[in-house]
Amino acid sequence: MKLRYIAARLVKTVLVAIAVVVLSFFLIRLAPGDAATVMAGQSGYADEAFMKDLRAEYGLDQPLPAQFWKYAVTVAQGDLGTSYVRRQKVTTIILERLPNTLLLDAFALLVAAAGGIWLGSMAARRPGSAGDSAVTVLSMLFYAVPQFWLGMMMVLVFAVWLAWLPPFGIETMGSDYTGLARVGDIAQHIILPGTTLALYFLASYARLTRTAMIEVADQDFVKTARAKGISERQVARRHILRNALIPLVTYAGLQASILVGGSVLVENVFSWPGIGTLAYEAVTSRDNPVLLGIFIVTALLVCLFNLITDIAYSIADPRVELGK
Amino acid sequence: MAEPLVSIRNLTVSLPQGADRPLAVEDVGLDVGRNEIVCIVGESGSGKSVTAHAIMGLLPRGVTATGGQILFGGVDLLREAPEALRKRRGRDIAMIFQDPMAALNPVVAIGRQVTEQIRAHRPVSEHQALNQAGALLSQMGLKDVASLLKAYPHQLSGGQRQRVMIAMALSLSPQLLIADEPTTALDVTTQAQILKLIKRIQAEREMSVLLITHDFGVVADMADQVAVMRHGRVLESGAARSVLGNPSHSYTRALIAAVPHGESQLPPPPDARPLMQVTGLTKRFRRGGLFSRASITTAVDDVSLTLSKGETLGIVGESGSGKSTLARCVIRLLDPDAGEVLLDGADIAHMKAGRLRPLRRRIQMVFQDPYSSLNPRQTVGDIITAGPRAYGEELKQARARAADILQLVGLNPQVMDRLPHEFSGGQRQRIGLARALMLRPDVLIADEPVSALDVTVQAQVLKLLDDVRKQMNLAMLFITHDMRVAAQVCHRVMVMRHGRIVECGPTRSLFAAPSNDYTKALLAAIPGRQSI
Amino acid sequence: MNFARRFFSRPAAMFGFAVFVAIVMIALAAPLVFARGPFNIVGMPLLPPGAPGLLAGSDILGRDMAVGLAYGARVSLLVGVTSTLCAVGIGILLGATAGYYGGLVDDLLMRFTEFFQIIPSFVLLMVLVAFMQPSLASTVIGIALISWPQVARVVRGEFLSLRSREFVEAARVLGMRDARIIFTQILPNALPPIVAVSSMMVGSAILTESALAFLGLGDPNLLSWGSMIGGARSAMWVAWWTPVLPGLSIMVTVLALNFIGDGLNDALNPRRRH
Repeated sequence: MKLRYIAARLVKTVLVAIAVVVLSFFLIRLAPGDAATVMAGQSGYADEAFMKDLRAEYGLDQPLPAQFWKYAVTVAQGDLGTSYVRRQKVTTIILERLPNTLLLDAFALLVAAAGGIWLGSMAARRPGSAGDSAVTVLSMLFYAVPQFWLGMMMVLVFAVWLAWLPPFGIETMGSDYTGLARVGDIAQHIILPGTTLALYFLASYARLTRTAMIEVADQDFVKTARAKGISERQVARRHILRNALIPLVTYAGLQASILVGGSVLVENVFSWPGIGTLAYEAVTSRDNPVLLGIFIVTALLVCLFNLITDIAYSIADPRVELGK
Repeated sequence: MAEPLVSIRNLTVSLPQGADRPLAVEDVGLDVGRNEIVCIVGESGSGKSVTAHAIMGLLPRGVTATGGQILFGGVDLLREAPEALRKRRGRDIAMIFQDPMAALNPVVAIGRQVTEQIRAHRPVSEHQALNQAGALLSQMGLKDVASLLKAYPHQLSGGQRQRVMIAMALSLSPQLLIADEPTTALDVTTQAQILKLIKRIQAEREMSVLLITHDFGVVADMADQVAVMRHGRVLESGAARSVLGNPSHSYTRALIAAVPHGESQLPPPPDARPLMQVTGLTKRFRRGGLFSRASITTAVDDVSLTLSKGETLGIVGESGSGKSTLARCVIRLLDPDAGEVLLDGADIAHMKAGRLRPLRRRIQMVFQDPYSSLNPRQTVGDIITAGPRAYGEELKQARARAADILQLVGLNPQVMDRLPHEFSGGQRQRIGLARALMLRPDVLIADEPVSALDVTVQAQVLKLLDDVRKQMNLAMLFITHDMRVAAQVCHRVMVMRHGRIVECGPTRSLFAAPSNDYTKALLAAIPGRQSI
Repeated sequence: MNFARRFFSRPAAMFGFAVFVAIVMIALAAPLVFARGPFNIVGMPLLPPGAPGLLAGSDILGRDMAVGLAYGARVSLLVGVTSTLCAVGIGILLGATAGYYGGLVDDLLMRFTEFFQIIPSFVLLMVLVAFMQPSLASTVIGIALISWPQVARVVRGEFLSLRSREFVEAARVLGMRDARIIFTQILPNALPPIVAVSSMMVGSAILTESALAFLGLGDPNLLSWGSMIGGARSAMWVAWWTPVLPGLSIMVTVLALNFIGDGLNDALNPRRRH
């Protein structure tokens, strides 16, 4: 493994993080409405002196570049500031919610990849058949469905009418499960939101797999494999599928990146306590430190996913050398 | 006479709906005897490849054998059960394909690919199979077998890959080896080596070989028996020597005649002042970015040449020799790093775009790939008149001249309103030539103008180029990898290798008595040089 | 025209086109047929479809669902088309320059698009809309701002690959100026994928707009399909039509646009070689 390349990527990540911090800071600060007004409104006071004290406390009466510098210094030390609304450390809040989102995303990734690749390879084996057309139609439908609406429909069907699965949250409220029972409880709760998240990407995987397999099946080396007299199943597995999976690695990385920042709607519909709902709350309550913190953490995670994807891709395709 | 190993009788293969003809091959009959090499020769679309694939049962989806028999040792392969046919593949009959890079799985190591075939038919362990594989590879003349087995296809050269393919094919000692244009994608010198290898192993194992080719030179060197195919039918077949010496069908005669002889018929060039002088041209390419070590390739290394009005200078070399890069530097599609290109005294190598533009009219180019050198969305008329119009010529006048030029290149002026996809490869090259001639250039650069064309069409286009040169008194720079083609149209020939000039001189003397070893190797590699 | 014939020969494209035209007609006709507007209360809340005078039932406040759906079409189409036009305009400009000239412009553009990929784009959109105050304009601008990088990447890719094609080299050899080459040689060949992507983008812009409206970040003075769904959250257990009908409207519209995009992609590609 090219250590030099990985080190270079990590440097690049830090640079990107800095860019994110700078741009986001100034962007969010440009918003009308002073944070002090928001906080004052929340605590019920509107008194001028109180607001002046608040501003001093949070350093909001300093010029903007000075505020930025102060912020940058604390971020470099790992402290993402304090929430305006909750009076808690941003880092704490985010670390509380992040695992829930990551769990949900991991589930969605697995379901989408497994389901999509399976459907796609089925369709590719018999192009033009009824099964193939069904897969294509289903894919098109999933591309056109609004995610939040799909979630609501899933709740309506599976949680209300059929009552098979719980309609919201990550755990049953007020319950006190531990160990295996807790895992089972969470598992039940993750199915609906996870599947809702997964379905759009499942359609993509199916289409990509189908296209990739049909293209690969036309290549000369597949002909060579058949000419060698190996069984059709081996041809499908070791030659066609193995090569078709290569572009899917890139797509999986892309999906992971999209999911990390994009589960706001599903988390909202299912009241899933992740950073999606956190972001929504922060936007509506103008909780800038939390917003900034989410931007930074998400950006860092995406950079990490990109690096992992690139490494995985170079393993999957030996023609590719890391670092181009 | 012993029973033939393979006997194809009345084979008919149909194509799917929408193809340009209903049958790929029609009523084809062919015998392949034991211990002999049979060639099927024909141009593209002749059905030679389809016939070979039909024997293996590897016809693509939609293409089916609808009539006839393929008897292999008495058994009709067309009627055999799929599972039984699968067992024969690789074991009784083996096949190698044209492009060894595309024919090997890019993500599996070489060793695995060879052992996969062995273990599909024999109950041996991976370790034993790997040893057998290693032995085979060294029999094929490959060195450093241990690391080769662990390598991936993209790490090998074209010649090495084809040897691996042949090793794989022979791993179970099949009775028949089918080779579908096995050398077309390889360099000239490598081609010769591979063909020699095939001949050697055929003799050693007393195997039957069915060799598909479009090159009659190859037929002359390799075949015991030959069959000539066209439009899906066998026109003529028999012992190679008699077909070559005394072809009965006119098409066969045309095919044989179309193979460039390697003997220059051109008179020595008129002694004229040099029109273009290239001195010390150098072009380097730099790869690699911030985080990986940069690698510098010198594609063109200190090349000098002169070109006079009315003469054709051939630049010959294999892939990677730098000939195409040289052409692109001369015509300023690329910017050279060093050197001069003097056109009538003016150095165009480092001229700024503004000063260069009016001079561009004087050098024009004909490109290699007829399928991507014409804008698919423009009519032929627009394509050809685009040049003059960019310099301010009136549309009506340009179209009038275009009609004349089109007739000069052998096309009906009515083609001006049609789109490129309606034309064949040869016709498209004529359109490309017309486009270049519309600007009345002094120098014409032809970059492999006939490499993508069928042999009979090649001959026509080469003659056209030569006629045009004479009529318009052009100076022509002719890039090619094929020595035979160079011999036919070039007054002088320059041989390039690794970016440098290896030898340069009048065609006749260079071919008759080459002084450089590489030139000698190139000439020796020409298929059929001795026999045609 | 040859192109029209090829487009309509595919049943999916024809269907998509018909549906889309129907939706446009509904959107245009809405203020004429339903002059009183979608916020007008017409009767009892939560009446099912088929109730007297109510083709699609009534919502939680007693407003006519059918009127809401018709007006919602206006918002969706307006936002979808306008934001896509803006995004495509910017994207073509920057992508073409980067793809053809390379160098510094290209590097900058690539860094920019990478940056947009790394930041959570929906969260960014929420922030932008909130900062500009939720309105029709802020929705359109916000969606355009987060969508243009994708167009720019596609355009850049096309220009990059076309630039090294032999017929473009031929144009350079002929002595054509850069601008002429870009407009007469490259652009006509780059358009098909751009047009296809644009059609899909209208669809995804509609989906994004509905998501914003659902979350309460859309224009508060306009009734959009997304806000209808958002408003139906509490009522959906007893009145299935309140979220289902607007959701189906969105789905059908986006599906139609995707079919059109596919059809355009096929119809605009010239005959490939055998």
